[in-house]
Amino acid sequence: MPLFSRPASAARRGAAEATSARAGRRLRRAGAVAAAAAVVLALSACGGGAAPQSADGKVELRFSWWGGDKRAQLTQAAIAAFEAENPNIKIKPEFGDWSGYWDKLATQVAANDAPDIIQMDEKYITEYSSRGALLDLSKYDIDTSKFDEAALNAGKSEDGLTGIAAGINAATILANPAVFKAAGVELPDDSKWTWEDFERIAAEVTAKSPKGTYGAAAYGTDEASLGVWLRQNGKSLYTSDGKLGFEPGDIAEWWAFLKELSEKKAVPSASEVVEAEAAPLDQSGLATGKNGLAFWWSNQLPALEKAAGGELQILRFPSKTGTSADAKLWYKASQFWSASSRTKHPEETAKFINFLANNTKAGETLLADRGVYPNSDVRAAIEPKLTPADIKVVKFIDQIKGELGEAPAPPPKGAGAIQEIVKRYTSEVLFNRLSTEEAGKKAVDEMKSAISS
Amino acid sequence: MSAISELSSISRRKGKATAEEKKANGRDNKAAYIFLLPWLVGLVAITIGPMLMSLYLSFTDYNLLQPPEWTGLDNFTRMLSDARLHNSLRVTFTYVFVGVPLQLAVALLIALVLDKGLRGLPFYRSVFYLPSLLGGSVAVAILWKQIFGTTGLVNQVLAMFGIQGPGWISDPSTALGSIILLHVWTFGAPMIIFLAGLRQIPVMYYEAAKVDGASTLQQFRRITMPMLSPIIFFNLVLQIIGSFQSFTQAFIVSGGNGGPSDSTMFFTLYLYQKGFGQFDMGYASAMAWFLLVIIGVFTAINFIASKYWVFYDD
Repeated sequence: MPLFSRPASAARRGAAEATSARAGRRLRRAGAVAAAAAVVLALSACGGGAAPQSADGKVELRFSWWGGDKRAQLTQAAIAAFEAENPNIKIKPEFGDWSGYWDKLATQVAANDAPDIIQMDEKYITEYSSRGALLDLSKYDIDTSKFDEAALNAGKSEDGLTGIAAGINAATILANPAVFKAAGVELPDDSKWTWEDFERIAAEVTAKSPKGTYGAAAYGTDEASLGVWLRQNGKSLYTSDGKLGFEPGDIAEWWAFLKELSEKKAVPSASEVVEAEAAPLDQSGLATGKNGLAFWWSNQLPALEKAAGGELQILRFPSKTGTSADAKLWYKASQFWSASSRTKHPEETAKFINFLANNTKAGETLLADRGVYPNSDVRAAIEPKLTPADIKVVKFIDQIKGELGEAPAPPPKGAGAIQEIVKRYTSEVLFNRLSTEEAGKKAVDEMKSAISS
Repeated sequence: MSAISELSSISRRKGKATAEEKKANGRDNKAAYIFLLPWLVGLVAITIGPMLMSLYLSFTDYNLLQPPEWTGLDNFTRMLSDARLHNSLRVTFTYVFVGVPLQLAVALLIALVLDKGLRGLPFYRSVFYLPSLLGGSVAVAILWKQIFGTTGLVNQVLAMFGIQGPGWISDPSTALGSIILLHVWTFGAPMIIFLAGLRQIPVMYYEAAKVDGASTLQQFRRITMPMLSPIIFFNLVLQIIGSFQSFTQAFIVSGGNGGPSDSTMFFTLYLYQKGFGQFDMGYASAMAWFLLVIIGVFTAINFIASKYWVFYDD
């Protein structure tokens, strides 16, 4: 409440100044009334933080996530299943786009009005948990015995178990076979393709396609593809002690190859890349048939197929050597279930998270939308219910299991700013406003200061 | 003016008021305060309170999740060496000093045309005012994005003439220009004010000038401009203040990141990014106060300069 006590006292001060005029007592009384009203107003604005317990003894929990329409439908169904089992708990959903999600969450936490259950991302989990905003779930009744170990560890830190992995993901390249077919180009063999193949094939598709269609989307709008590139070159995005795991020269090479792709028209023009950045998933180049290949997370395939209205194919990243083990992919916790450390109902919150993570009924509604289920029992139990798109995702995750590189270090505090920096300097490079070396130096400087502060 | 003179005459009278009159006044005052209360509560709770809070926060390191820590002038000294902040100032100043004069010129021009006694004036007035109602809105900014996209309406028209237009809003060299154009397009509000001002100029001045053989241009320079100067001044002050704070258009058109390459990174947008995107609310608060100082300085300059060119009739 300290946030709000100030305006009230300030109001009194402001009123006191006004009284120094002749008007006297009457005004003072009016000022006091105003100040009191301000306090009431401030308190009621704060009210969201108070325990919302309705008259009939029901506990109400707020649950927020980011994602599109499909995810909203699936998640609502899971909520309904939980409420049917637990008539005393009511879950109030709050959801929106990725871009607005984090601004909103930060404001809610600052105002002591955080949702009880928070869908969390690895980029932000350290930020929030190291600042005490997330609940240590290991102290509550959540069963993790059936969990994939790597997925479970991703949610652990010195602040405890602050996130339960909602799904397992991998960085992939998705292909739109319709674009390849129209261009008369064979789909690449992802078990042995190299970056040179990627360049050659994408350029060929562009050349044989109508104007405005490109063989591949450009990378450089997020850090996942940078992470893959760095791992293939023996570096990493972050080190285990929370520092940057690469030098300006490494990222400069990555941009140099992007420029080469751009010059050969394997990827769209700089302006088109910038415009594509802002497009939501269902208007992306891959979904609208403007790109043959694009960089996505594996769990996004079902939603993209729905938007594209046709089948898509999951491919491994190309490697330097042409052997799939050198693609250095990894399992990522797609997102986490976290709880606000200030929740008034930690038991009920944990109960709901436990339901999402371990209950087959939750699995049957959520399917693979947030990635492959980390709980092996649930994963097996829901298999018959999976859609063909989900099955593709699960198969891919199983397929690459033997060729994974070592698990990457978790993103440190401040890592949420990295994507924006990558994006900005990618466009500096694509518009030829900075050389790749200059961009590398400046970007690394900015990233270092973002994660050290 | 007249309202102020009336007020002062009231206060003069009050000096000699009888006890009875005082009582009646007191009742009036009470009623006035009650009617003022909703506004006062709003002012204190929504404007002054948060402002004082942000003044305090500007001297702290505040990451939203933990209590603020006092750091003195640290945020302000950091601003001196923040290259992105300097860039955002450059962008904002360009926007204000190109956009505002352009917009006012267009507004005045349209007002002059409409003032010539056009048939169906109310209709045209509404039509020209419409963009002002819409221009600041999210929907129009999104539409703008479509119109000026790589394959948008503008480039399709250009393509008919064999010109390959750039991606107006996605190319760093034209993005800011596109947003300035959007701003100019919302000339309706100043136009209405200009129109009202033009109506106030007595026709006899023009008639006298015509008799003396003054040309239209001379009439404009010697009669319209001086008579309209208080209105121009009013519009200028309002528009400059508003433009320094402009946020929505750049936020929507650039997808919230001030891109491409920070070319539309307005000061307010950077402030927002720092505060909510990077958990640096102390710094963002310091930036807000810096912006307040900038606006204050330019408004003061405006008022001082007005002595030399604004002409008051009365």
